[in-house]
Amino acid sequence: MTEPKLTDWKEMYGALWRIRLFEGHVQRLAAAGEIPGFPHLSTGQEAVAVGVCTQLKAEDAMFTSHRGHGHVLAKGSDIEATFAEILGRRTGLCGGRGGSMHLVDAANGVLGATGVVAGNLALAAGAAWAAQAQGRQDISVVFFGDGATGAGAFHETLNLAALWHLPVLFVCENNGYAEFTSREEHSNVKHVSSFAAPYGIATQTIDGNDLPTVYAAAGAAIESLRRGEGPYLLECMTFRMAGHYVGDSQQYRSKQELAEIREKCPIERLKRHLTGRGVDPEELDAIAEQAKTEVQRAVERALAAPRPDPATVLEYVYRAPALAAIPG
Amino acid sequence: MTRVAQEIPKVGLVMEEVRVVRWLKSVGDGVVAGEPLLEVETEKAVVEIEAAATGRLSEILVQNDSRAAVGDQVAWIECADAQGAVAAAPAPRAVDPEPPDTTPAARVHGTAADAAGDGARDAARIRSTPVARKLAGEHGIDLGGIAGTGPGGRVQLDDVQRAIDASRPADTGAQSLSPMPLSPMRRALARAMSLSNATIPQFTVTRSVDWTEMQALRGEFAARAGPAAAKLSVNDFLLQALARTLIEFPALNATFSGDPDSSEARIEPARGAHIGLVVAVDDGLLVPVIHDVERLGLAEIARRREDCVERSLKGRLKREELSGATISISNLGAEGPDRFRAIINPPQSAILAVGRRRDGVVVKDGVIVVRPLSDLTLTVDHRVADGRLASQFLARLVTILEGRNWRLEA
Amino acid sequence: MQHTFIEILRRALDEELARDPAVHLLGEDVAAGGAFGVTRGLAQKHGAARVRNTPISEAAITGLATGAALCGLKPVLEIMFIDFATLSMDCLVNQTAKYRYMSGGRLAVPLVVRTQAGAAGGAAAQHSQSLEAWFIHVPGLIVVAPSTPAEAYGLLKGAIRLGEPVLFIEHKRLYTMKEELPEGAELPPIGRARIARSGTDVTVIAYSAMVQTALEAARILADAGISAEVIDLRTLLPLDMATIAKSVSKTHRVLIAHEAVLNGGVGAEIAARIGSELFDALDAPVLRVGCGFAPIPFAPELERALLPGSADIVRAVRGMMERQ
Repeated sequence: MTEPKLTDWKEMYGALWRIRLFEGHVQRLAAAGEIPGFPHLSTGQEAVAVGVCTQLKAEDAMFTSHRGHGHVLAKGSDIEATFAEILGRRTGLCGGRGGSMHLVDAANGVLGATGVVAGNLALAAGAAWAAQAQGRQDISVVFFGDGATGAGAFHETLNLAALWHLPVLFVCENNGYAEFTSREEHSNVKHVSSFAAPYGIATQTIDGNDLPTVYAAAGAAIESLRRGEGPYLLECMTFRMAGHYVGDSQQYRSKQELAEIREKCPIERLKRHLTGRGVDPEELDAIAEQAKTEVQRAVERALAAPRPDPATVLEYVYRAPALAAIPG
Repeated sequence: MTRVAQEIPKVGLVMEEVRVVRWLKSVGDGVVAGEPLLEVETEKAVVEIEAAATGRLSEILVQNDSRAAVGDQVAWIECADAQGAVAAAPAPRAVDPEPPDTTPAARVHGTAADAAGDGARDAARIRSTPVARKLAGEHGIDLGGIAGTGPGGRVQLDDVQRAIDASRPADTGAQSLSPMPLSPMRRALARAMSLSNATIPQFTVTRSVDWTEMQALRGEFAARAGPAAAKLSVNDFLLQALARTLIEFPALNATFSGDPDSSEARIEPARGAHIGLVVAVDDGLLVPVIHDVERLGLAEIARRREDCVERSLKGRLKREELSGATISISNLGAEGPDRFRAIINPPQSAILAVGRRRDGVVVKDGVIVVRPLSDLTLTVDHRVADGRLASQFLARLVTILEGRNWRLEA
Repeated sequence: MQHTFIEILRRALDEELARDPAVHLLGEDVAAGGAFGVTRGLAQKHGAARVRNTPISEAAITGLATGAALCGLKPVLEIMFIDFATLSMDCLVNQTAKYRYMSGGRLAVPLVVRTQAGAAGGAAAQHSQSLEAWFIHVPGLIVVAPSTPAEAYGLLKGAIRLGEPVLFIEHKRLYTMKEELPEGAELPPIGRARIARSGTDVTVIAYSAMVQTALEAARILADAGISAEVIDLRTLLPLDMATIAKSVSKTHRVLIAHEAVLNGGVGAEIAARIGSELFDALDAPVLRVGCGFAPIPFAPELERALLPGSADIVRAVRGMMERQ
């Protein structure tokens, strides 16, 4: 893995900001009632998304969870189209049919997000199997929260991926909470990486809020996968700065906890890291401003985008029109 | 295939038990609803029981000489279609429907009869199937007029189809509202009846006749004559009795001819008893004549009667068979009126109208009894006979009809 | 020459493996031949990479097959008993079936899930069910249930080539059924029913093993002068209402027969549709014959008492044809 240049770091700084600002708009508009359903924010977990996805190719398959906006943006998806999908507009990534929890962008390898915890782990393994079966060098990455370790599918998939030696990177964002329950309450196993060894999977637990740390660890894992060394489980310890979902008032965290979190903010930490390496803070602020404008414009365009035509509601159930002609 | 039960209906007021005298049909024979199927003997008389349905006599349950009570089932008639079953009002349900959910596993959901509920037909609502309603609507048929053969009396497709087929011939007749030219027969009848009314002064006398003896004898004669013989009908008895009466009253066995004012006016006696029988045919009436009836026994009368009725229906009567009578018999049968006045058929002098047989109350030796009766109405040409002669004639006729003095063979 | 259902399925898989390199078979014991021997010899012939055994992990292998289908493979996944499809359900229903729709048509899942259903004497409650009704309830799935070996051959090939997620439901009692495979026959189209026997008095709609039962009932009814038309649905989702409509317009009477439990079964859906779309053609209420409302018992006499047979169809049809 080659060490990123400062320009790369600055770009990644902008990427972190774009996700942060994007989620801020989602939070704002959801509070204003503009967004259907209940989006999940990844505010505070940007370093994992950027640290991993920046090192993936468009052809690498990526699967994520209900908390996937950051991953999708980091993988290269268009900001406006992503926001439009969250708004349910016709120009959204899925034409308004998927929504916040089901973002798909095949061109960038975003093959799915799911609202069922652990629901995408096996799909990612399958994508890896397809690459292997077809002799492609592509790998597969799946993001999931620590709550997934409670699901049978988690264990089934680790076992299978290891058995078949599949090139899949399991990235667990361990933010200490599953829904509203802290980790201590739903598992005796403190670190998700503990599950790897029994299945014979390589693993590491890292500080997920430090972008350089994430970048380095993810890079090593990806290279290992590309060398055909089998699946990898990367556990990134992180924190959720926003609640579980928009509207969650976070009664279950102490004020001190929340202050601590702000100190650990990945953006703040990268800024400190880069200024420590001689980058002008104003330059970083300018990058942030630029990100702000970019995201703002994209959101405004998404807000102005047309809504889907109800007459098309039965389309895309099947490919062939004849198969779709089933009375509702 | 539906099975309809043939029961013993109540014939007399007091009837409770009967003896089966004779089955008029055998197992396997076709039967037509309303035709005599068996004879039973009540306390009073031998009575004919009519077939309850049209179909095939599939099983006889009570043999000759056995006793049966009113309401008893004495036979099964198998009907090929529902028409036979429908004609018999008290026919029981042919097959019980499978009650749902009696099999422990309840493997069949519902039955065709389910929707019929308890089987009681809601008088206000006509149960019918969608396709039946559709067809009825297309043909302007009122569902209320159709007897349904589905569960609970539900009107089904073929019930409507049958109603359509059945109504077609009648429809074309009744609904033809345009003026119709006269057929030759219609014209002939119109002429004859108009002439009769215009030229013959007609009066009537009426008496009722008690058929009790005749019925009993008819049964005996039929047994004597054997199965190959023509079946004796009441008309045969009427013919023989009338023939005898005509011979006894030659004044009435004559025809008037000519204008009463002219010197050519004649009363011409007939040389024998030549009697006409009014037969209803397709387009009107025919009156074939049986000649010299006084010489014939009942058996022969029956043969000739059957023959000329058949040939009348087929339109194959010879000219001489349509003339020569001095009197005719007009019997409108079991569906006929209680009594009626027939119009004399010129150049005849009289006509005997026979009302339908029905139970009537008579007083015999101071006791009220129920007897099978008919009203006989004799229309007479007043130029030939007057009231006294006509009354005597009729009284004599009735006496013979109520007596036991008959000739089976000549 | 006649072949069994199993042999003919194997042949279909063999031919599709040879025809399309994207086709891969996977499932528990599949490389070893499968629980019923359907895939026997195929791993040896096409290689261990194309025909693979999996651990007993229905959830994971369904997800694996789905993910692979998203990325260019055409997996044929075997779920040993439809009773175990319950373990596949999250992926099958929440992901596989919905991928095309949720992605706004951008992604597809060309996946065939082969499974088998039905009671075969003593397999008891967890290995004898017919659960197809659950799956016709899921938009995005295709559900196919062949009735004979020749039908299965064509329908399986059709399913593999269709490009949609197909649940292909075989029947354990049909596995030993023998039939000759007509050479060069056209593949029966998915979504089109066939008339298994022509008739005029009543339409009997059936699928899977029940088609043979219905044909047997039709023979018995013919002796009683009742002419039954038997429709083999072949595909349960989507339903071929056009063929049903044509038949019912002719006979005006319908009976639907399936081995699955009556309550909420496929027959209920068909009966409802006939009631609303073919109301004016009906001369009798629509009847259904199906399994009694109990789990499949172990003892043979109990199992027999619960399962529907030709006698039930005959009785129901005769009831329909009765005259008062």
